[in-house]
Amino acid sequence: MAPSTQFEVSQPPTDAISSLVFSSDSSHRLLVSSWDKHVYLYSITDDQASLLNKYEHRAPVLDVCFGASNNVAFTAGMDRQVKRINLTTGDQTVLSKHSEPVRCVVYSPSHSLLISASWDNTLHVHNLSSSSDASEPLVIPLPGKPHALSSSPTKLVVAMTARLVHIYDLPVLASATTTPPSPWQTRESSLKFLTRAVACMPNDAGYATSSIEGRVAVEWFEDTPESQARKYAFKCHRQAAPEEEGGGDIVYPVNALAFHPVYGTFASGGGDGTVALWDAEAKRRMRQYQKFPEAVASLGFSGDGKYLAIGVCPGFETGMEDYDGKGRTRVFVRELGETEAKGKGPK
Amino acid sequence: MGKKKRGHPDVEELLARPWCYYCERDFEDLKLLISHQKAKHFKCERCGKRLNTAGGLSVHMNQVHKENLTSVENALANRQGLDIEIFGMEGVPEDIIQQHNQRIIQNFYTAQAERQAATGNPPRGLSGGQGPTKKIKMETSEEIKKRLADHRAKVAAQKEAAANGTPLPVVPPPATGPSPSQAASPFPPPQPGFPYPAGAPAYPAMAYQPGAAPGAFGNLPARPPSGGPVPSALPQRPSYPYPGGVAPPGYPVASPVDALGPGAGKGPGGDDIDQLIRMAEAGIKPAKTGEEPPAPVTEKKKKGMRMVYDDTEVSPEEKMAMLPRYRWVEEAAA
Repeated sequence: MAPSTQFEVSQPPTDAISSLVFSSDSSHRLLVSSWDKHVYLYSITDDQASLLNKYEHRAPVLDVCFGASNNVAFTAGMDRQVKRINLTTGDQTVLSKHSEPVRCVVYSPSHSLLISASWDNTLHVHNLSSSSDASEPLVIPLPGKPHALSSSPTKLVVAMTARLVHIYDLPVLASATTTPPSPWQTRESSLKFLTRAVACMPNDAGYATSSIEGRVAVEWFEDTPESQARKYAFKCHRQAAPEEEGGGDIVYPVNALAFHPVYGTFASGGGDGTVALWDAEAKRRMRQYQKFPEAVASLGFSGDGKYLAIGVCPGFETGMEDYDGKGRTRVFVRELGETEAKGKGPK
Repeated sequence: MGKKKRGHPDVEELLARPWCYYCERDFEDLKLLISHQKAKHFKCERCGKRLNTAGGLSVHMNQVHKENLTSVENALANRQGLDIEIFGMEGVPEDIIQQHNQRIIQNFYTAQAERQAATGNPPRGLSGGQGPTKKIKMETSEEIKKRLADHRAKVAAQKEAAANGTPLPVVPPPATGPSPSQAASPFPPPQPGFPYPAGAPAYPAMAYQPGAAPGAFGNLPARPPSGGPVPSALPQRPSYPYPGGVAPPGYPVASPVDALGPGAGKGPGGDDIDQLIRMAEAGIKPAKTGEEPPAPVTEKKKKGMRMVYDDTEVSPEEKMAMLPRYRWVEEAAA
């Protein structure tokens, strides 16, 4: 068996994790954004993760992503700002200001686009190839509050309230100047409940979404009846409730989805504290890892697919009046075996 | 089945799976089967050496340990014989293969019918119209009220009866435990006049001819007597459909498949579905569509499903953002 080891990051955030992401190259740099108002930069080596730096913000950070190089990061803040951070110097530049907290931020390296989604029901699109930082972003109004955002090489998927899903064409976004382009496709989510996460397939073929109701859907971009007939959804991240509580299932939200950059399989992380690996083509679960001590908040594969980072912290559940992730927030890194995430492909 | 698949394989795939003569387990591929046989059936209990065949093990026992091997380990009661040389799928007597195939086909259609009954979906490749499909029953509010009233009256009657200690002539719901005679077998007892589910392809070559003497294998070539006790030790296997009309006494218990133990026979709850099918064929509607109260399963599902986070409009992050410790006030910071 090829080795597969798991280790824990020694200096994790002090409060809940909102997002974590690896750099897309093979430098194994890991960014973690937290509700403790910081962004953490770790460097993963063979069997340990060391904190390189942390970057303070004015307010909780809701999302983070790498920019064109592994030395640049973008953050989405509760303080309604989208910022660029120079990871070496720590310099922060405000790129965009929304009128509500910024929920997600995504950078598309192929089109040099920075896209942020805010609860003010807009997308801000920065074209970083031509314009200077000072230029105003392109503002795209959305019909609902965005909750998740993901980009493939040519598409951008925005999941909103009321099960709305808009798919934008990145080249169109890149060439748009003043008038906001209309979505390439508008869809209704295949899932009946609030969307929790979206992740695009690295091969640009489609995407997966997950909802608060323990379910994941896989869909394809191509708008032909054949492709659309291939879409499917399945239940996951559920537990049988003890009989004395009336039996049935306890259904956890699926908080995180991440596609493996090489094999195209994907991982899901749920409020039940488990991570499962799925083969989207063969429609099979390949693996389910041992339960983590808290809910899985975010997942990320490294650019070369060697590591899987898992951010865990207590999940916010219905009925909670307060929340504190202190001391219970941890980041695990799993070094995957050679073929651990490799799917068998369709039979 | 060794491995549960997400998709349901079709019957050809199932039949193509190699399986073990000694224990009827089936495998993904021949390599797995052979390693299974070496580990389970051809392993020397003295030294752990794994041999390729039962004969090989016998010779090994004889020469190395000076012992005589009398039976194959972990095998079904009637398949322990050493006289048949089995290696993977080689050497399995034709009649046993046919029996196995029949069982697979049988189980396949049972499982398919079960799925159909459970989901209401037509079988793969069919756009509907065939098979027992789930009926969507449209009821007017009067009908619903009437049904509720009926149900209440019935419950009241049951309660009363229970209080009086008099048994009620209640039709047992299909989901009750299998009857003792069924319990021993994953197959339904042969039902005279009820051929196995309509639509099941007939495998006439395998069906025993009516009037065939018990123990003879229909149109199959008879095994030479030197074939040992195995074929004759096998109990007569009724075919589906069973043309004789009457099951040989004690058949279900003696079936080789029964000895397989847990996991060998497919389709847990097969008895239930068999009963459903038989009821459907006999024109009896299952309780669900009749006057019975809603099936407890659905009720339990509704009651039991508890979502850890159930706000379908507002995300957990938005709720957290409203907490004092995370809240952001622009004015304060400006």
